Amino acid sequence: MAATATGIHHRSYTSELKLRATKAEYFRLALLAVLLLVVPFVMGNYWLSIVNTIFIAVIGAVGLNILVGYTGQISLGQGGFLAVGAYSSAILSDRIGLPTPLAILIAVVLTAVVGTFFGLPGLRLKGLYLAIATLASQQIIEFIIRRDHGGWLTEGKGFINVDRFEFLGFKIGARAVFEQQWYWILMPLAVLAVIGARNIFRTGLGRSFMAVRDQDIAAEAIGVNITRAKLTAFAVSSAFVGLAGALTAHYSEVVTWEKFTLQVSILYLAMIIVGGLGSVAGAVYGAIFMTILPVLIRNVANAVEGSVPFLSDQLPAIQNAVFGAIIIGFLIFEPRGLDRIWQRMKDYLRFWPFRY
Amino acid sequence: MFGKTRIAAVAAAAATALVLSACGGDGGDNGDGDGEASGDPIPIGIIADLTGATGDVGAPYNEGMLAYIDYVNGNGGLEGRQIEADSNDYAYEVPRAEELYNQYVNDGVVAIQGWGTGDSEALSGSVANDELPFMSASYAEPLTNPEEAPFNFVVAPTYSDQMRVALNWINEDSGGDAEVAVFHHDSPFGQAPVADGEAWVTEKGYSLGYTAYPMPGGQANYVGLLSQAQSQGAKYIVIQNVAPPAAQVAKDIQAQGLDMTIVCLNWCANELFINIAGADVAEGHMLVQPIAPITTDKPGHEAIREYIEAEGIDEGDVGVSWVAGWATMDVMAQGIEHALQNSDELTGPAIRDSLQTMGAIDVGGLIGGDVVQFSEESHRGSTTTGIYRAEGGQMVEVEGSVTP
Repeated sequence: MAATATGIHHRSYTSELKLRATKAEYFRLALLAVLLLVVPFVMGNYWLSIVNTIFIAVIGAVGLNILVGYTGQISLGQGGFLAVGAYSSAILSDRIGLPTPLAILIAVVLTAVVGTFFGLPGLRLKGLYLAIATLASQQIIEFIIRRDHGGWLTEGKGFINVDRFEFLGFKIGARAVFEQQWYWILMPLAVLAVIGARNIFRTGLGRSFMAVRDQDIAAEAIGVNITRAKLTAFAVSSAFVGLAGALTAHYSEVVTWEKFTLQVSILYLAMIIVGGLGSVAGAVYGAIFMTILPVLIRNVANAVEGSVPFLSDQLPAIQNAVFGAIIIGFLIFEPRGLDRIWQRMKDYLRFWPFRY
Repeated sequence: MFGKTRIAAVAAAAATALVLSACGGDGGDNGDGDGEASGDPIPIGIIADLTGATGDVGAPYNEGMLAYIDYVNGNGGLEGRQIEADSNDYAYEVPRAEELYNQYVNDGVVAIQGWGTGDSEALSGSVANDELPFMSASYAEPLTNPEEAPFNFVVAPTYSDQMRVALNWINEDSGGDAEVAVFHHDSPFGQAPVADGEAWVTEKGYSLGYTAYPMPGGQANYVGLLSQAQSQGAKYIVIQNVAPPAAQVAKDIQAQGLDMTIVCLNWCANELFINIAGADVAEGHMLVQPIAPITTDKPGHEAIREYIEAEGIDEGDVGVSWVAGWATMDVMAQGIEHALQNSDELTGPAIRDSLQTMGAIDVGGLIGGDVVQFSEESHRGSTTTGIYRAEGGQMVEVEGSVTP
């Protein structure tokens, strides 16, 4: 939200630029910080593995939201860009032997380059037409990794086994500590990604993205270089996505084409729609929601298996149906997603007993 | 200042409470391999496809596995311990398989039964790190190499071996001079035997023509692909794909009046292929299938008959996929039994060592009409397969046990 909320008065430009203005916001930040520090010590490995998956999804969803939510360039190529990050990082670290963090870094840059290339049609196309163009990028990348012609990606095996993450003598341990150690790698990265994305939109660059989204002709008239803004948005977004892809590779320790299908692209789009388009916090909420939802549905189905066997028999079908229903529900009732719902709840409390 | 500390304290308390309440509920979270006293159930995780892309064969495979477990438990279990299997549907989606796997590991299972090529490959690294033996219905060559996948065991001949058997048969049937078209699923699963088949033709010095065609998904028919094969002059079409598209190819051959014989490998070599295509259309096509159908009456089928009679299951519902599930679980169970007899503690590595060192595993001829045997150097359990011909809507045995 660009406008400041009612009742908050800024006396200087610096205070207006601050990310947080009220005490309640600092309080929530402290709460969140404590929560993030406590989680790995109280959660079991199974739930930690879900939390770790969420962190990776957060990075990917924040990246996609920069492109779709903030710049208004619809992309169905998310799965493909994740694949670029995963395959390049796996190959660079395991086959070429670079240190893993360096391999991840190069993978991020490489994905940004590939993303920019596939963003070129965005200079001429808008809306649905661009969606189809990015769908092509998804299909092309999927085709390449699926066929793996000549075996240069997977050496003819069809998949790449990635060695356990290792850097400067530190190696991730066995299953008992595996999730916890990954937590301390993934959590800071996800936090950095979120802070990074928040800050992009306090700069001229981020504002030019939003100008392109809101009205590209007007943006050009006031001096925004649309070509540059669009391509930069593709590059920045793909860099985030590449990071998510590379982390997927090293965290799950195997890379196969089946993890990067069109379905993944759509899942990520669903995340940012449900969370809230054009909001970093929304991408986070969406990533959490869409990752936990299927787990919750399964747990509920298992819990009531005795009385309602139909639920667990048809579980994947029901999961898909619930997914679809939720996306439709959000589009109808709150198109601005979980983030907007959260804002409204806060406003309601802040202004109570008044409406606004 | 005072205010801030208090806020932080409240925050900490609230956060802790929140987290604790979030993780409560499903107690017994950290069951990593505890409770190994004799008499305890043996936990096994099953990742099954019941409703996904391959659910038509995945569901009976899962039923076969559960039936075997039921049968063994009914007969006193393994060394007096019951098998406790947790089977969940992953709908052929790799991320769901990974999530189920995490759940099973957390539940402290000692072995995993998977299903497809996708999940077997995606989990091969994890099972190696977590030291959990893993079997599945994916017979891909890379999984047989213990250096690549130390905890994966492949119970049946690989797709490449099946391709070699198919080519040997074609060479003999055609008199050594024919064009072969290979129609394969457009994925690593489909491509698995393609290059090995071509190398086999060269190695054996066959004068067979050999061209591979990926089968595009979502096609209404394969007339276009068949006309390509026709211009190649193909008389034989080897298909590495699941039954429905293979049956469509059979229908198209019939409709176009082409003189071509299909040689189906493994996943289209089943009753489903014959049923979908129809008995007339399927007539005369060849099926390379390592798992013996129940109609062939191998010694291993006796236990199955005993079980299905007791349970009132119709023999017609017991297809090769069902038998495959039963036989695969049999191999795993024999490994577990051996581990129970020979080591103090039932762990993943103990089961792996048993499977590698116990020698021939007798499954009553259900797999390739022969025994299954692993070693430290190779997790290729078997190289023998059966060849069947579709006749009168049945799989009729041509050769029960052939090696490439």
